[in-house]
Amino acid sequence: MSSPTLSREPPEHRPLVEVLDERRGTFGMSLFITSEAMLFALLFGAYFFLGAGPRRWKVDEPPKLHFALPMLALLVLSSIVLHWGDEQANKERYVPARLALIATMLLGLLFIVLSYFDFHEELRSLTPRTDAYGSIFYTILGTHLTHLSVGLLMMLWVLPQLRPGKAYHNVSLYWHFVDSVWVAIVVVLFILPHFGL
Amino acid sequence: MSTAAIEARLTRLWETPKTLLGFVGTVDHKTLGKRYIITALAFMIIGGLEALILRVQLAHANNSLLLPEHYDQIFSMHGSLMIFWYASPILSGFAVYLVPLMCGARDLAFPRLNAFTYYTFLFSGILVYSSSMWEQGPNAGWFSYVPYTTQHYSPHMGMDFWNVALLLLTISTIGAAINFIVTILRHRAPGMTVGRMPLFLYSTLTASFVSLFGLPALTVANIELELERRWHFRFFDVAHGGKALLWQNTFWFFGHPWVYIVFLPATGMISMMLPVFSRRPIVGYYYIAASTVLTGLTGFGVWWHHMFITGVNQLAMSFFSAASMTISLFTAVQVIAWIVTIWKGRPVMTTAMYFAVAFIALIVIGGLDGVITAVVPVDWQLNDTYWVVAHIHYVLVGANLFPVFAAIYYWYPKMSGRMLNETLGKVSFWLMIVGFNLAFFTMHILGVEGMPRRIYTYVSGLGFSHLNLVISIGAFILAFGILLTLINAIVSLRIGAYAGKNPWQADSLEWSTESPPPPYGSVHLPTVTTRHPLWDEHDEEEDPEGERILDQGRCTFSTTWIDAKPFALARMPNDSILPAGAAFWLVIAGYAFVFSHDWYFLFFMLLAGATVAAWLGTPAERELP
Repeated sequence: MSSPTLSREPPEHRPLVEVLDERRGTFGMSLFITSEAMLFALLFGAYFFLGAGPRRWKVDEPPKLHFALPMLALLVLSSIVLHWGDEQANKERYVPARLALIATMLLGLLFIVLSYFDFHEELRSLTPRTDAYGSIFYTILGTHLTHLSVGLLMMLWVLPQLRPGKAYHNVSLYWHFVDSVWVAIVVVLFILPHFGL
Repeated sequence: MSTAAIEARLTRLWETPKTLLGFVGTVDHKTLGKRYIITALAFMIIGGLEALILRVQLAHANNSLLLPEHYDQIFSMHGSLMIFWYASPILSGFAVYLVPLMCGARDLAFPRLNAFTYYTFLFSGILVYSSSMWEQGPNAGWFSYVPYTTQHYSPHMGMDFWNVALLLLTISTIGAAINFIVTILRHRAPGMTVGRMPLFLYSTLTASFVSLFGLPALTVANIELELERRWHFRFFDVAHGGKALLWQNTFWFFGHPWVYIVFLPATGMISMMLPVFSRRPIVGYYYIAASTVLTGLTGFGVWWHHMFITGVNQLAMSFFSAASMTISLFTAVQVIAWIVTIWKGRPVMTTAMYFAVAFIALIVIGGLDGVITAVVPVDWQLNDTYWVVAHIHYVLVGANLFPVFAAIYYWYPKMSGRMLNETLGKVSFWLMIVGFNLAFFTMHILGVEGMPRRIYTYVSGLGFSHLNLVISIGAFILAFGILLTLINAIVSLRIGAYAGKNPWQADSLEWSTESPPPPYGSVHLPTVTTRHPLWDEHDEEEDPEGERILDQGRCTFSTTWIDAKPFALARMPNDSILPAGAAFWLVIAGYAFVFSHDWYFLFFMLLAGATVAAWLGTPAERELP
């Protein structure tokens, strides 16, 4: 995207620079994501803290992978699609950018549907009230699902915008963050217990 | 164009109309900064009155002024209000007012976010305070240890109010931190390289990063506790594999960095005014800047020293003990730099300087009694006694209230255009310093003699009575001293001497504007060539071509973050009532949650989100006729 300049000529004085600052919001969004990453880091910290020690919690069976891994594939795919869309928006090709946005949202909705079935199955043997393990397990999944829903709402906000370049980029950053949290969740909560960790 | 015409143009661009909509919707950092300060001071007055009630109750043995449950609620509200709703927001207030002026920018990076964080802070304070209308205040102190705070032992709503209000406050604090970081790293005046930044910017920047990394821990702690209370999760339930220490670890991971959030910006203020009143540049600028940043970093490695009596393992205790002693080195570097600055200078003893010097003395005392408790065996002896109460008040009152009062005397002329009365100020100072030491130094002795904290009364014959009476008298003297400054501030608004641009002959950019500054700050955005722009020969507003007037809209410069070269124009948004609206829906959602109306909670959360989306979507710039 060529850097936009001021549309109206300054009436009297030429400013020192005339390029507009388009990346201030991205800076703010990166800091916000940093803070959110800290939130998840602390939740994982709580997970390990609760699990550590001589009386390690009893997990009858590790969480099943047959939903978590397809969900991971969905989110990785959505990140790739959205990144492609971000590049299109950057080149001011808004039609393919919007199509990519819609595809990402559909993948995100599919993720929520799969989450529903996953919860349905897990809840048979483990509820948040079963023990501390159940509490932190569902808290981490729930927090992630909340963030993912917020990401979807953000995309819904970007979709109708006429020239969504800046907003598109910032929202896609947030979406990539939500996706990478799911990678961490799959590794820590779903795969490591199969190795007794 | 004549200067008057340019000023009129800029005023039209930046001025907020004096209407109700303008009052609610203003995004002017100067207005919002003053509101932050006044709101935080109001919370301080309420918290102070609560402290006085507590001191009347404790003035003699077997007193029955308060019931135990009332005592618990009052001391918990006193602690929570002072620590969360006064100590940090007052510093945010000064930063909101001063950071753009010191940077030479026209506003903070995100003016509407600034309005939103202010209203969220205000409403969260009202939310937590309104719990007393149902006579169900939080009653577990300011750190709310589980299991006492779980549903089983605290079935009333006080803890829910506390949790939800703090969740809102973390949103506000993180928002403000993001705003300060982006402003300081992106909108400093052309030429203000990292080596020329005023030290207040260093300390605010560090504290903001500490907020960014530390506050999520409070969010996590509050979420876990609320899930446990509302839906009987098992985080802290030992019978189901939970751990009470999870709360302590999570809370103190936030809690100790928080000490530096309320301490570092105050040191920054002192580093701004000490050189001005010592009539020389600060000694060891780079050392102060470095130790500020290192304090913020090390602050994340000391939280276990709040938990030495919980039976953590030996190696960990040694590590946290060593880190706690290390952190005092960085404060010592700053203290020595301040003392040498006064020593090498020619001090002018204004009221602000009195408070600044007293701060140095108090932080040394408070720091030393902290080092004593960082020694593990001594900590085992002193934990949960009045020694700890003495320590927290020396570091929080000594290192926050005294610098804040210094800052009030120092920056009040800039904010109001009038000087405060110096004589009344010095009387106020002497009352405060005498009352403070009478009250809180005595607590050390009481702690060593073994009086536990947080008891609503004590029996006579234990040797506590006289000391407690001394403490209560000291508390009232301190309160009277504070009252005098508040009266001073109100009266001087009308009859104070006019301040002029730079009454203290200070060196930083905020003093180059009128007092009070016009809505747009400087006409020509300043440039900087040295560390002390107003003390050197350079005219920071010299701009014959008018390149730095920026009257084509609400604009300010974006500069690179190390060497501050301008690379773009940042457009600034217009006034809007939507940020206040978003904060309002958020607090309504908070009430809905406290009263277990979950669908209303969800609805108002979505409404708040929609309001934020609307505020981001409305056209930002004000058009010129």
